Amino acid sequence: MASERTDLMQGTLELLILNTLARESMHGYGIVQRIHEAAEDLLKVEDGSLYPALYRMEERGWIKSEWGVSENNRRAKFYKLTRTGQKQLEAQRANWNRISKAVTRILQAT
Amino acid sequence: MKIADLLKRHQKTSLDVEEELRFHIEMLEHKYLQQGMSAAAAKAAALQRFGNLEIVKRRCVTISRRSSPLRRVLKILSILVAVTGLAIHILSSDPKIAHVGDTLIMIAISGRLLLYVRGLSSSTIKQIRLDTAPDQEKPECS
Repeated sequence: MASERTDLMQGTLELLILNTLARESMHGYGIVQRIHEAAEDLLKVEDGSLYPALYRMEERGWIKSEWGVSENNRRAKFYKLTRTGQKQLEAQRANWNRISKAVTRILQAT
Repeated sequence: MKIADLLKRHQKTSLDVEEELRFHIEMLEHKYLQQGMSAAAAKAAALQRFGNLEIVKRRCVTISRRSSPLRRVLKILSILVAVTGLAIHILSSDPKIAHVGDTLIMIAISGRLLLYVRGLSSSTIKQIRLDTAPDQEKPECS
């Protein structure tokens, strides 16, 4: 299965993070696990690559972080979506749908 | 918030990032241990899955400091100094005092430039690393 894993397209990780955080606030580890589970391990996401993306998204005001206690009673940083992040998610989702529709049409036409 | 608090917070950033990343690696280790791996194998697998810890940490600290309250305060301070300098320059009829205004403007511009270049250099270095890094480091997207 590992050899069939696909690299994420540029910018897609942010969409996946926003989508994951739309349900509930989570720590970084939880976000990666959720993405891997949802993608059934078909996507190649190096866990560490998540964090610079999270920090950039927080810098842009899409998400907010605060320290809390994890499920195993450890101090962990939890991220949640802001209103700006919610709007960004909608915009990125619409953009993704447009791109995916366009690529599908091109592939079917040729 | 006092300047001392802002400085403390600035220094704390690195520790916070480290704690956050360590938590992730330890969770991975725990998962692999539960899957039956030995402690050493679990640790190795966790580190491999996480990627280059030092690079990730450095990137996070850079981004975090770029948007830190201290940096924002310095930006506002540079604007205030520039405005004060401009006001002195315009309102003063004495050339010596007007020169003080010019100096303040120069200090503010230099300070702002320094802040900009520091932010720019980190992102430029990051871009160079991304361009030259082996495939496993590239998914750090945006």
